[in-house]
Amino acid sequence: MSATLENDSQYRTNLFFGETLIPEASTEELVEESGEETSVSSQCRKFMLWIDGVGGWQLCTGNSFIIGAPSLEKESADIALLANVSRQHASLYCEGEDWRLTAHQPTQVAGKLIESETVIRSGDQICMAERVRLGFRIPSVLSTAAVIDFESDHRPSYSVDGIILLTDHCLLGPRRDHHIYCSHWPDLVVLFEQDGELRCRSNSTLHADGAVVRDSAPLSHGTVITGEDLRFRVEQMD
Amino acid sequence: MKFTFAPEARPLDGYTIKRAIHRGGFGEVYYALSDAGKEVALKLLNNNLEVELRGVRQCLNLKHTNLVTIFDIREDGDNDHWVVMEYVGGPGLYETLQGYPEGMPLNEVLAWLTGMTAGLSFLHDRGIVHRDLKPANVFRDQGQVKIGDVGLSKYISESRRSAQTQSVGTVYYMAPEVARGRYGREVDVYAMGIMLYEMLTGNVPFDGQTTAEILMKHLTAEPDLSVLPQKLRPVIMGALEKDPDQRISTVEELENKFRAAVSGENASIPVTLPRTKTERAAAAESVSSPRATQRPERSPVLEDTVISDAPPSSPKTALAAAAALWNSIPQSLQFVIGGAIALLIIEADMLRPLAVGGIIGGAAFLGYQMLRMVTENVEKKKNENEQVVKAAGVAPPPPPPPAGVSPQPSVQPKRERFRRARKNKPTPQSPRTFTPATLRSIPAGYRATDLFSSLSLSLIAVSLVTVAVFYTTDMLGNMTHAVYFAAVTMLASWAVIVPSKLWEGRSADGFARRLVMATIGIGVGLVAGELPKFLLVDQQDLFRGAMATPPVAFGRVVLSDGSGNPTTASLMLFFAVLFAARRWWWQADSFRSSRFRVTSALLTLLVGMAITGALQEVTFPDALGATWALALSAVVQLSSGWTPHADRQKLAEEQQQVADKPHEEPVDVAVEAANA
Repeated sequence: MSATLENDSQYRTNLFFGETLIPEASTEELVEESGEETSVSSQCRKFMLWIDGVGGWQLCTGNSFIIGAPSLEKESADIALLANVSRQHASLYCEGEDWRLTAHQPTQVAGKLIESETVIRSGDQICMAERVRLGFRIPSVLSTAAVIDFESDHRPSYSVDGIILLTDHCLLGPRRDHHIYCSHWPDLVVLFEQDGELRCRSNSTLHADGAVVRDSAPLSHGTVITGEDLRFRVEQMD
Repeated sequence: MKFTFAPEARPLDGYTIKRAIHRGGFGEVYYALSDAGKEVALKLLNNNLEVELRGVRQCLNLKHTNLVTIFDIREDGDNDHWVVMEYVGGPGLYETLQGYPEGMPLNEVLAWLTGMTAGLSFLHDRGIVHRDLKPANVFRDQGQVKIGDVGLSKYISESRRSAQTQSVGTVYYMAPEVARGRYGREVDVYAMGIMLYEMLTGNVPFDGQTTAEILMKHLTAEPDLSVLPQKLRPVIMGALEKDPDQRISTVEELENKFRAAVSGENASIPVTLPRTKTERAAAAESVSSPRATQRPERSPVLEDTVISDAPPSSPKTALAAAAALWNSIPQSLQFVIGGAIALLIIEADMLRPLAVGGIIGGAAFLGYQMLRMVTENVEKKKNENEQVVKAAGVAPPPPPPPAGVSPQPSVQPKRERFRRARKNKPTPQSPRTFTPATLRSIPAGYRATDLFSSLSLSLIAVSLVTVAVFYTTDMLGNMTHAVYFAAVTMLASWAVIVPSKLWEGRSADGFARRLVMATIGIGVGLVAGELPKFLLVDQQDLFRGAMATPPVAFGRVVLSDGSGNPTTASLMLFFAVLFAARRWWWQADSFRSSRFRVTSALLTLLVGMAITGALQEVTFPDALGATWALALSAVVQLSSGWTPHADRQKLAEEQQQVADKPHEEPVDVAVEAANA
């Protein structure tokens, strides 16, 4: 725990001198510490959803997601927070109905320090490096997809209102138990992955880049979905 | 919600729009990124009034943590002006309020109040009045309360043109003196008072269907303070004072008084700002997190806001309790009880009208049940059909051309697009109760349809009632009697339905309405008196039961001619009194409490009996008079259009939208009235 605090002050000192990266020494240290864990590489694809009147949401598709700090040299974590955490601080993965968290660095879940791995439930809070807090919830009983809320003021470097971990499908709609609550939307829109492709469908009529959506439509970089009283754009993040 | 610019549009050099944020009173607001990745909010100004721009320019360099910072004002290729400002994330006061339909915890209120006071007093200190303070303009980003739209509203209300663009959402917070064109900082104090009321109770103090109605309430109505904790009432009253000179004069004073009242009310309330988003989220949502349990409990003081502290028992409440008890009885049981009451009255020699009344009531109820069965079936079928259509994916109206799909949608004039897009109005946040007294603007088309369907339904209702009377009583001796009875009942019901439907939704002067109804009643009585001559009805037979009394006359008006038959004048008197005695338009209104209210019919029967009783002295048939009263009530209630409670809100909004289509006339009317 004290090591984390040391890192903290060191990190701030570096920040003060203009370095935005995690100091080299400490990075090495972390790499050494985490050993095998660093080999964990991102399995998921990342999208941004820009939703009119609602917000900007990051969508990660897959089954396993890495929480950590952004990196300029290597691949960033899927949930990359501008915070004094390791580049790969913890991993979340979905196994059947259950979500589990693997701690690569000291991490607390629901107030308990996790040695290696734990089951994480909707409503649990993930706390890293003492001050970085994330909310974890599964809003809908219809899906295992989870939502990550930023509970402390630590966020990614880009502006985002929350992160969806899309396992099977994610619901965008006018109810609080939808993954993205779109209060003014007339109907529900479902996003899901099929054959490695992100798709969307809805009971009401949607247009994908102006063309009427029959059944469902693939979402790729730049696709704009419009419907009665709704519009959102999908961007693939690199 | 349709917006002018699509994602990825670049109306201003250096900024790329990512998404629309919302449409405010002054134009559309977008979330955009600068080329380097800096997030900003871009506000497109609706109309480029020079005064408006001057207002913003004045505030361009104001710096305060509780004000949304304005970075720049820019002009795009179409000569439209944009305000580039700080992007504030996180739920605003408007969204937060939606999470608390019954009021926020007190420390939440204080957190908002503190931030708003700081920002506003900074503005007031620089001689600037916000003028458009409302929950949609107050934000909170990472715990910091920020007021938006600063400088935008400064001149806006001075132009009559823009007064028309005021949406309902704005007038909720508009001080009464604004109607007179007075804009001191008291205007902001008033708006703060309204917002405090809303934060504490979940509802605004002055609500209505139209802007005119709300403006009128600001000018004249007293806020209902009984829902507030006792100690806070004088503070809110002080902020909502109609006269700006009597009002609490500064926002600091308001905050100080509010805090003093709060600490006086319950010193143990910890006045702390929820530090983290967890705490805020925990308060806002029911999603349980371990931290949620740490959130301060809602103070017991505020629980009082829900429970009314009326004195335990007074004659008025006893009466209300009796009424509530009666209303809780199922409708069919009400008939039985009504019958029992009738039996009691039989002893008092009122046998015939009551027996007939019971029969008509029963027949009417049966008829109503049948009608309901039929209409419900039709409704069900319709719904099923709609669902089938939906399931088949055949969406009936094609959505308007997606204005924002192409990255450069500057094809049609921007102004046009604005106008089309601005139809979205904030909807009232809480479920409202709709009664015949609810003011609403009903477009002529709706009114005409309702009126004509009511009139045609009344034909069936009249036949039903006449048949019931004909076969169950010996009052109508032959077919001509029945025709006479039906004709008069029909005429009377039309005479009730037509004015009632014309008055529906309009503000009522009960006395004037009763006077008009009485006049109409005189006409109905005239026909009822003269018709037997044309139908060649044997009057002696028809009006039997009337006691022959000595002649009574006032000048030329002969109330009784001694023949034993009622005179035309007595019939005119009967109908005039009957029409004036009941609030008939409530029985015909679409928003009456239920389609057929037994209580209303029984009450009308009693009124009819009382009138006939009084007219016994001038040869008036007891049975026929009372029966007419009941029959009329039954016909009016059965045939007048009625909207189920669940559909009222939707219907009212729909009608409002149709009525608003040209522009919002009522605002001007009200403002004019106030100016006069």
